[in-house]
Amino acid sequence: MRRLKNILGNQRGFMLINVVFLTVITSFAAMILMDAAPRIRNNQTSMRLIALNLANEQFAYLESRAARGLEPDAGFLGEGEDLINDSFGNENMPINFTVETSVTGGGNLRSVTVTVKWQSGGENFEIESERTIRIVETS
Amino acid sequence: MLKRRDGGFVLIEFAIALPLLILIAWGLASVTAKIFYLSKNQLADYVLETEAQYVIERVTQRARAASSITVEREEKYNLKIDKIELKYRAVNDDPENANLNVADVLERQIFVVDNKKLHAKRIDDGASTSPITGDNYFGGTQINLFHCDLNETEKILHVTLEMESLISGHKIKINTAVFMPGYGS
Repeated sequence: MRRLKNILGNQRGFMLINVVFLTVITSFAAMILMDAAPRIRNNQTSMRLIALNLANEQFAYLESRAARGLEPDAGFLGEGEDLINDSFGNENMPINFTVETSVTGGGNLRSVTVTVKWQSGGENFEIESERTIRIVETS
Repeated sequence: MLKRRDGGFVLIEFAIALPLLILIAWGLASVTAKIFYLSKNQLADYVLETEAQYVIERVTQRARAASSITVEREEKYNLKIDKIELKYRAVNDDPENANLNVADVLERQIFVVDNKKLHAKRIDDGASTSPITGDNYFGGTQINLFHCDLNETEKILHVTLEMESLISGHKIKINTAVFMPGYGS
């Protein structure tokens, strides 16, 4: 035993306590990584795609109204149920979109801006889409 | 006989080091496996999103120029799947080319779901050989819902598409509508 102590006592290298500390730190790092990794997946590109198509839906109805000589309407003209979306695992907490429309311009041409807003993970997001719409004269 | 200057490990050192190494290796392997798993799912979700965007854009762009549309309600695989046939005006941007310069050509495009994949066809021959979704190497997808509502009075086609990734199991549902100024003309 004394011989063993002599041999180990003169060895340079890591002590057990060093290795234990390293293991604990590595485990913590692994836990943090495993916890954070799913958050790297950002669904906002998909949400933007959904929002952009909702804006297009609003434009379609506005254009349809304009083709019949009707002024653009500020409210959402599409299907009401389209504003609730449960894509990407949001079945239990579906995302609610809101669509706002602002209209400027005179004469036959209207500059229409459609803003789609939604909330995800406590953050607010929005996209804006613009289009010029001509009101058809129906006389 | 042990000598002071002998190199190498003593059995007790090895016995302590081995479980620790196994513990560290297990932790690193778990993290690596998780990262690979997430990467695979992210790639599959990217494919899902891209295919959904492609389908919705292709259908709406064709519908935008449509002069007539036929929607057949179908129930396949217990899912709401429509078959849609569009006749749209082909656009000629090359007035110098006499062969192409045929005014007001109507082309036909049929979107039909078979084997949970969307097919874009020119003729309705029953064959399903031209899928535009579902066969991506980085992640298969399937169509869960393809629903088209035609409002002839307002000249609007409302499209709902739901697709699912076969790898991650994630779904994306897109609703949109397109105004068809030339519908019925």
